[in-house]
Amino acid sequence: MSDDLRIVTELDRLIHEPARLLIVTILSSVASADFLYLQRETGLTKGNLSAHLSKLEEAGYVQIEKTFKGKLPLTVCKLTTSGQKALKAYRQQLQSFMKMTG
Amino acid sequence: MKDNFSDVEQRVKRYWYTDGIGELAGGGLFLLIGLYFAGHEWSSSNSLVRTLLDSSLVLLLIGGAYATRWLVNILKTRLTYPRTGYVDYGTSRKDTSSGRFLTGAIAVGVSMLLVILGKFVGSFDWLPSFTGLLFGIILMTVIARVSGLGRFFLLGGFCIILGLALSFSGLPTDYSLALLYGLTGLASMLSGGIVLLRYLRENPILADAERQNER
Repeated sequence: MSDDLRIVTELDRLIHEPARLLIVTILSSVASADFLYLQRETGLTKGNLSAHLSKLEEAGYVQIEKTFKGKLPLTVCKLTTSGQKALKAYRQQLQSFMKMTG
Repeated sequence: MKDNFSDVEQRVKRYWYTDGIGELAGGGLFLLIGLYFAGHEWSSSNSLVRTLLDSSLVLLLIGGAYATRWLVNILKTRLTYPRTGYVDYGTSRKDTSSGRFLTGAIAVGVSMLLVILGKFVGSFDWLPSFTGLLFGIILMTVIARVSGLGRFFLLGGFCIILGLALSFSGLPTDYSLALLYGLTGLASMLSGGIVLLRYLRENPILADAERQNER
């Protein structure tokens, strides 16, 4: 197998999925964001977003917490250190692949 | 769905400015500073009002900055987060301390430059154009670039033109500064107010039941 193809097979599939990639990219730019914001930004349905967040939470990439801002109930999502590392590695792998093929 | 990382990151940063609340509150603070300079110009040199004003500038700036932050937080919690969601931009401890150090160093540098220039030139007639230029550069190169929003280019251009016009107007420096801060504040409030009204119209508040379905 050629090197460029090997990089593709080594990509983190959990992050490679477009909806989850968008979620972790958004969360990597902020300290935390709530469910409503993520739903609006990604354009996903509640069920779909919830399923993707659960997968990211199971992998330890995202931390989810129910909290209050004043009287407003919030479901706040935060990228963990492990999630940040995984996204960084994914971006590096993707850049290497682009260099090889471009 | 966008696949460009930097596009997504810029969109996330732009969200802070989406409701115009920051401009509205910041504009209010500028208006207060403008009123301060107007009061300074209109009060006689040995009056109690002048003494109080002289000793309250630092309080106005520091207190105003904290009050603005508090107001923005309150308004966003009541208006923005229930409509389009909550985002905490946060900063790491390291970023905050280095940022504060840099801001302090720039403030000290600019103050020293102003004093030296004032002594060298012998007047402060150029201060409005300098201040307008400084605001214009900050608005155009920092806020407009980070957010990608054209209205900050317009506001920055307005500050620069207004500062230059006031420097050549022949008005007393305090009066020119009052007009510069006051009109910049009003322009910012007007811009923020229009953006906020449009935001509220386009984003009706979600019913509690709809929010409860999250996860």
